[in-house]
Amino acid sequence: MDKHSYHDMWVYVEHDGNSVQPVSLELCCEIRKLADVAGEKLWAVIVGELAKEELARVLDCGVDKLLIVRGEGWTPFSVDAYTQLFTELCREYRPSAVFVGGSIQGRDFAPRFACRLPTGCTSDATELVYDPKTGDIEFIEPAVGGKMMAVITVPEMRPQVGTIRPGTFRYSPTGPRCCETVYEERSFPLEKIRAEILDFAPDQEDDSLNLADAEVIVCIGNAVKAEALPRYRQLAQLLGGKLACTRPVFDRGLLPFKLVIGQSGAVVKPKLLFSFGVSGAVNHVTGLSDAGCIVAVNKDPDAAIFHYSDYGIVGDMDEICDLLLQQLEG
Amino acid sequence: MLNILVCVKQVPDVNLVKIDPETGSLIRKGVPAILNPYDENALEAAIRLKEHYGGTVTCITMGPDQAEEALRECLAAGADRAVLLSDRAFANADTLATSYVIASAARLLGYFDLIFCGKESLDGATGQMASQLAERFDASQLSCVAEILELDETARSITAKRVLENGTERTRASWPCLLTVEKTNYRPRIPNLKQWKASRKAEILRYTSRTIPGLDPEKIGDPGSPTKVPRTYPPQVGERGRMLCEESPEKTVKTLLGLLADVL
Amino acid sequence: MAYYNRLRPEDAEALKQRVGPGRFSAGDSVKEAYSHDEMPIYGRHRPEAVLQPVSTEEVAAIMQYCAAHTIPVTVRGAGTGLVGGCVPLCGGVVLSMEKMNRILSYDLNNLVVHTQPGVLLCDLAADALAHGLMYPPDPGEKTATVGGNVSTNAGGMRAVKYGVTRDYVLAMTVVLPSGEILKLGKTVCKTSSGYSLLHLMIGSEGTLGIITELTLKLIPKPLRDVSLILPFENIAKAIASVPAIKLANLDPQSIEFMERDIVDSSAAFTGTPVFPTVVNGKEAGAYILVTLVGDSETELSDKMDRLGAVAEAAGAYDTLVVWTDNLKKDVWAARSAFLTVIEAETRLLDEMDVVVPVDKIAPFLVYTHEEARQQGVRVRSFGHAGDGNLHIYCCSNDLEEDEFKRRVKRLMDACYAKCAEFEGQVSGEHSIGHAKKRYLRESVGETAYALMGAIKRVFDPDGILNPGKVCHEAEEGERC
Repeated sequence: MDKHSYHDMWVYVEHDGNSVQPVSLELCCEIRKLADVAGEKLWAVIVGELAKEELARVLDCGVDKLLIVRGEGWTPFSVDAYTQLFTELCREYRPSAVFVGGSIQGRDFAPRFACRLPTGCTSDATELVYDPKTGDIEFIEPAVGGKMMAVITVPEMRPQVGTIRPGTFRYSPTGPRCCETVYEERSFPLEKIRAEILDFAPDQEDDSLNLADAEVIVCIGNAVKAEALPRYRQLAQLLGGKLACTRPVFDRGLLPFKLVIGQSGAVVKPKLLFSFGVSGAVNHVTGLSDAGCIVAVNKDPDAAIFHYSDYGIVGDMDEICDLLLQQLEG
Repeated sequence: MLNILVCVKQVPDVNLVKIDPETGSLIRKGVPAILNPYDENALEAAIRLKEHYGGTVTCITMGPDQAEEALRECLAAGADRAVLLSDRAFANADTLATSYVIASAARLLGYFDLIFCGKESLDGATGQMASQLAERFDASQLSCVAEILELDETARSITAKRVLENGTERTRASWPCLLTVEKTNYRPRIPNLKQWKASRKAEILRYTSRTIPGLDPEKIGDPGSPTKVPRTYPPQVGERGRMLCEESPEKTVKTLLGLLADVL
Repeated sequence: MAYYNRLRPEDAEALKQRVGPGRFSAGDSVKEAYSHDEMPIYGRHRPEAVLQPVSTEEVAAIMQYCAAHTIPVTVRGAGTGLVGGCVPLCGGVVLSMEKMNRILSYDLNNLVVHTQPGVLLCDLAADALAHGLMYPPDPGEKTATVGGNVSTNAGGMRAVKYGVTRDYVLAMTVVLPSGEILKLGKTVCKTSSGYSLLHLMIGSEGTLGIITELTLKLIPKPLRDVSLILPFENIAKAIASVPAIKLANLDPQSIEFMERDIVDSSAAFTGTPVFPTVVNGKEAGAYILVTLVGDSETELSDKMDRLGAVAEAAGAYDTLVVWTDNLKKDVWAARSAFLTVIEAETRLLDEMDVVVPVDKIAPFLVYTHEEARQQGVRVRSFGHAGDGNLHIYCCSNDLEEDEFKRRVKRLMDACYAKCAEFEGQVSGEHSIGHAKKRYLRESVGETAYALMGAIKRVFDPDGILNPGKVCHEAEEGERC
């Protein structure tokens, strides 16, 4: 494969007809920078119609080219249709890289079209670096439960496909550029869609499970004793904030998945975050990168979490929590 | 007869893996190898289907000889047949090469109506295997399955409840279908003595790169893996925040609250 | 009757100098946690000062001062006790051993470890395993200190095979109430050399001296192990299987029992049901959990066959094999968390830790449940079926505290009387503290109780060490 015949970086813009997924905008902003370093163009690939205002938000990220796919068979989303679509588009347009938001949809179809092409696919990179010597993108991601960072490349094949978790990069639009639009008229035969959605029941709005807008968060890690949970909930309430946790706390069945902060869970941006008994694995702290002030309490003075914190206290988490409760109440 | 394949992996218990502070490399010595926890849930879902509708469950894995232990665990839980794909030539495979080998071997074992696998592995954690296996098997795909609702053997379809980011979906997919399941409803069972004993004695089917006919050497192991890992390094961390340590925890907390006065 | 002095400001200052300001607190700055253990129903008593020594010498200096000024001293480990053993009934000083938490050295030729007493059991066990060795005692509370384990002669799950903490203490350093430092025992496994003061110290609950260093015996860790769950229709059938299991030459490492109630509570609380409740179409009412060890899979497999046959003959619904690391982790975590679950879901809690002959476990539990029903108190139970050691928790979320105490007293009076009738012991591993003193006295009789008191006076003539505990008479709050 002559990889030098592949040019330009693509971002798949996931939307539901009304609004664009934030992860797609985050990706447009980040890949804008990467494309500039590589001297390549940034394409936004949109399937179906998108309202003007939403389109403007995409363009605001500095997109060079819009590839808009029109036709039948694209709504609702199906793995079958989108796998075929991206296989065909990549073969025809030969982009150097394709980025897809790491939503359930994205994680379902991106590895699959990479397999069909075939090419290499990476997931969950937290940092992207363009190597001018090789022309390859370095996908840097936590490995082995966050104990190591691994650099992944796709040196021989193109496009380089990557799914990126929501919240990994910042939405920081640099303003629109002169943008060209290409329309693709194509359809996918409905009879080839092998999964039929019978119905969809949206989740009940439960504000206590929505961490995204919380101003104060009390986050507990695996060191928490099950019986001590109520006092942390109480502290969160007292602070007018929300309770959250790390992945292992969810795995123990103590709190629902929506309260998990980290790469596979929520990315949060509170003004103040208390972290109790959290070791500080990379997978978790990537969810904290936009937090304001972080206070960490851990009995292990060498815990990594202290390196991500503004204030650290080495001590018994339950004791510190109780003292906070006492002093805040008093 | 329903024919189910469960793809599993043996992984190091990464929670027990430590980093050598001097060299920055992983200390794997003494770290037990376990069946990937998500695969246990996939297996459980498959076995429940078999119990309800009849049929057979085959487990397959690619890995070193020791991975046999993970397969015996599957047999104890109720799988009928276990297949180990083991060859030095398979080493250093990424998900593309691994899915190719597994699908190629599976063709020798029959036609599978349903394929299950864990949603991700504890060690690699890319979560890509499910999609790529689905592609290799030319199967429909149901991820995030909380509950299997119905199996229609005449229409050859499966209906499942999927838990998505913002709601619950009921989806019907045609066979062959690849599924990944959520933990909650599919906790692994504890085998009884009879099952356990049978699993220890059972024969394990083995394949190497040479005994899978038509395997393309360019598509397996390192050569068949488009993704490479040129280097790894310990996570870079900045300086520690300000550590608070007064003569008593009470005073430390007091100092902290003073410092947080403008944020609170 | 003993008379103690209150801590004056000059005493506080003098004691503070013996440990430094960072390891001393007095008056209002004493943490509330030091005023109780895990069974606060027996009353809270705030110490006047808490000291955290780091060496034998510091302990000696503190004891000298307190002896000279008749200030009571109560030693405390992690505070995980269940009988008020570390609660300073008469105020004074609490010596918290939490900072004497270093594992000092291993002697791999003689298979011993030298350790400070404040090391947590879980840390010692993990560290020994990293050296390829096992510390056999395995009490359920893993975050207790080893010093606390020795002071209560804790038993735990593996006692049926390996014995109790007492069997693993070879030597210790003790600070006597006078402040004198005494070394007891040697790094050898046999002795026929006079009265064993070492064994008098073990299980003495901090009433005779302060343990400041320990030499503990270790064993090579077994190469393989497996746990098996035997579900039964009810507790009587479950317990009835135990003698046969013990006779089958399996040398099990542990034989635990648990009733369905606690299994359900645990599943509901943690959201992770580990023990199957319906087995082969039948509802399980009780479980036996057996752990077998061996050098090879063949050996274990053979033992499992024999256990399976015994279980079947005893009417077990099935023999479930916990072989993989994942399952072992789940099952033992669930077993170890039972008390945690009970504590978390219960507002008012009291407990019994009796030991009865194995064939009396079932009748005792039946009797207890019937009495509890009459008193209107909820009961949760589990324990060590292999050695007849039962953990019975009396719980209520609805009763007024005083009413609860009255009912539980009636229940306990009846149960301890039944225990005496069955020739049982008041406590298997949780000890006497001040909560079970009366039952101890009734159980051992006046002569034995008086001998215990006399021994206490030989070690501690002024009664300053942990007053009011085990066999020492000091009423709550007593002072000059």
